[in-house]
Amino acid sequence: MPDRTDRRIGRRGWLRGAAALAAGAPFASAPFATLRAEEPPIRVGFPVPVTGPYATEAADQVRAAQLAIAEFNESGGMGGRRAELLVRDDKLDPGEAATRAIELIEKDRVDFIVGSLSASVQLAVNTVTKQRGILYNSISQSDQIVSSPDWGPTSFHEAMTPHMTATAVGRYAFGKFGKRIAYVAADYAYGHEMVAGFRAVGAGIGAEELAEIKMPIGTRDFSPLMPRLEALRPDILFLCNFGRDQQVFVKQAQESGLKRMTHIVAPILLQTARIAGGAQAFEGVLGGTSYYWGIERDVASAKAFNDRFRKAYDGRLPSDYGALGYSGVRSVLSAAVKAGSTATEKVASALAGMKYDFYKGPQYYRACDHQSVQSVFIIESKANGRVPEDVFNVLETVPGQEDLLKTCAQEGLG
Amino acid sequence: MIAALFRRAERDRALLAALFLLVLPFALPFRATAVNVLIDGLFAVGFNLVYGYLGLLSFGHAALFGVGAYATGLALLRAGIPWYGGLLLGLLAGAVIAAIIGLLATRTRGIYFAMVTLALAECVYYVAYQASGITGGENGLRGIVVAKIDLFGITLDFVDPLTRYFLIAAIVALALAALSRILASPFGAVMEMVRENEARARAAGVDVRAVRVLAFVLSGAFSGLAGGLQALHLAIVPIETLDYGTSGMVVMMCLLGGAGTFFGPFVGALVYLVLQNLVALISSHWQLPVGVVFMACVLFFPRGLWGQIARWRPA
Repeated sequence: MPDRTDRRIGRRGWLRGAAALAAGAPFASAPFATLRAEEPPIRVGFPVPVTGPYATEAADQVRAAQLAIAEFNESGGMGGRRAELLVRDDKLDPGEAATRAIELIEKDRVDFIVGSLSASVQLAVNTVTKQRGILYNSISQSDQIVSSPDWGPTSFHEAMTPHMTATAVGRYAFGKFGKRIAYVAADYAYGHEMVAGFRAVGAGIGAEELAEIKMPIGTRDFSPLMPRLEALRPDILFLCNFGRDQQVFVKQAQESGLKRMTHIVAPILLQTARIAGGAQAFEGVLGGTSYYWGIERDVASAKAFNDRFRKAYDGRLPSDYGALGYSGVRSVLSAAVKAGSTATEKVASALAGMKYDFYKGPQYYRACDHQSVQSVFIIESKANGRVPEDVFNVLETVPGQEDLLKTCAQEGLG
Repeated sequence: MIAALFRRAERDRALLAALFLLVLPFALPFRATAVNVLIDGLFAVGFNLVYGYLGLLSFGHAALFGVGAYATGLALLRAGIPWYGGLLLGLLAGAVIAAIIGLLATRTRGIYFAMVTLALAECVYYVAYQASGITGGENGLRGIVVAKIDLFGITLDFVDPLTRYFLIAAIVALALAALSRILASPFGAVMEMVRENEARARAAGVDVRAVRVLAFVLSGAFSGLAGGLQALHLAIVPIETLDYGTSGMVVMMCLLGGAGTFFGPFVGALVYLVLQNLVALISSHWQLPVGVVFMACVLFFPRGLWGQIARWRPA
């Protein structure tokens, strides 16, 4: 009998407790309930080439973007409204990227799109977002996206343009090494744009162009060029190619002795490519970059960003293109907070002209073309340091000023 | 019973295809992919005309598809021609480039035919790549924006996903009906005759080369139309549409679904695209499971998914 009594009391107790909980629940969980029910998260679409030749860079972009999202949510979001990142594989293909962007907009109802890692892919995404009135912040290099006819009121460009990269690197090199120059360029858009950028700088200071040699992508033997380049003895050799082509050229220039006669300057030196290629292949090569973690000694925001990245990813350090994923996402979310809304026009007007310092010193979006005006770092490859990412010396910081950029009139947006 | 069902399906194939297209966007998780299935399906069906029915393996079909896409894109972008005119131009451009490639390539056969078509398609690729002033070169053609479509006095919103799907589906259904008619015609029978026994066809008085060129041109028209639809759908023409990867993709779709069957290539396109997209959503290592499925298809469905089902007879 005592057993039954106990059981009965137990059940009653349980019922009483449940009733009390049920009565209290609306009060206790009210703030969460309303937050969940009425406010869907801010959705940021992030199409990047997760597979393919740029997968290493893309993986780093995703890591950095996730960091920006986590930080936004930890700091309370937009009045309690959280953000989420929707990563999609664009397979480094413009058609695929356009399809993914359409689906992100139509099916996933994203508020913004940030991403892409090639000129053609970002222009494809930009066409889609422009047509549908969704804000897009591109994080890879292109001159077209900030020029007519590609640019639109919804287009933003967090990455540098080839023009500003070449201008900053060109000014540094001409000032340091002399005016007799030669170009070796990959025969496609990237090579052509970079040569055009250097040429524009050179014309202003009366540089003497000795040769422009265009080589097909995938060239594995540059040795026939070496005697000619050695005979020309340029002060600067601008090496406007990428990846493996670049590594092969530098190695062969070393073997032939050309490297001792001239200064080899590349518009962009990628941290990932330098790590993969090794110290020897890149020894003594100069170039530009949008970000190198080593600036943390001088730049407080870089230190803060690197530390957060290290903490989140087992001591790993962010790469140049990876860091763009962070600032690309964070700037859009900050503009949304500033605007107090996720409506495209409001966020776009908050973002245009916005000044910020998220990871590399002061930056701002130029109002007329939405290009992020930012500093360019001149770096030099060095022997491997303490950590795998310790591969460059920062020679100079070219401060972010509008004279590095084409004017909006030149871009057809005047 | 099942055999009778399939005979029935084969007879009403155009109607059946139209019904299938009607429910497809509701069965798929993504509308934009559903439109890609339509477009690549039509492209694969066009390819199948040459490969499945005539027995010629072309590795240069990207040229027919891509030239159609560029023609439509350029017509809309530079000449300001309305969308239907652009599509018609895409179709014609596909047929014209197919005539040129076909006339040259049909002088060879077998593996040489595949190589010549591949080489000629690569020529087309490099012309488009170099003519960046017209085609946008490496960056592709951008901004082919069609926002509204006027049809018999009704204005349709082409940005709306379902409207876009059904408009493109209607055009694809018409194309499939035309294809069904071609296959049912004496010319369709002659194509299969050439595939099965060329010497016999020749002896029966068939001009084999003319049949091959004509089939290639028809295939070009279907491929060009598909390319034009892609330009309208994505509002861009990437240079990659002319790439040999596109040629490889259409061969894969056709084999996966079943070459020489009416529905096979369409089924192939559906499985190929949906599988890739679904797996890519779950894992960034999507290539591994997709590759395993393809290998399984080759091992267990040598006639393709649809081809195997259509031939299945209960023991």
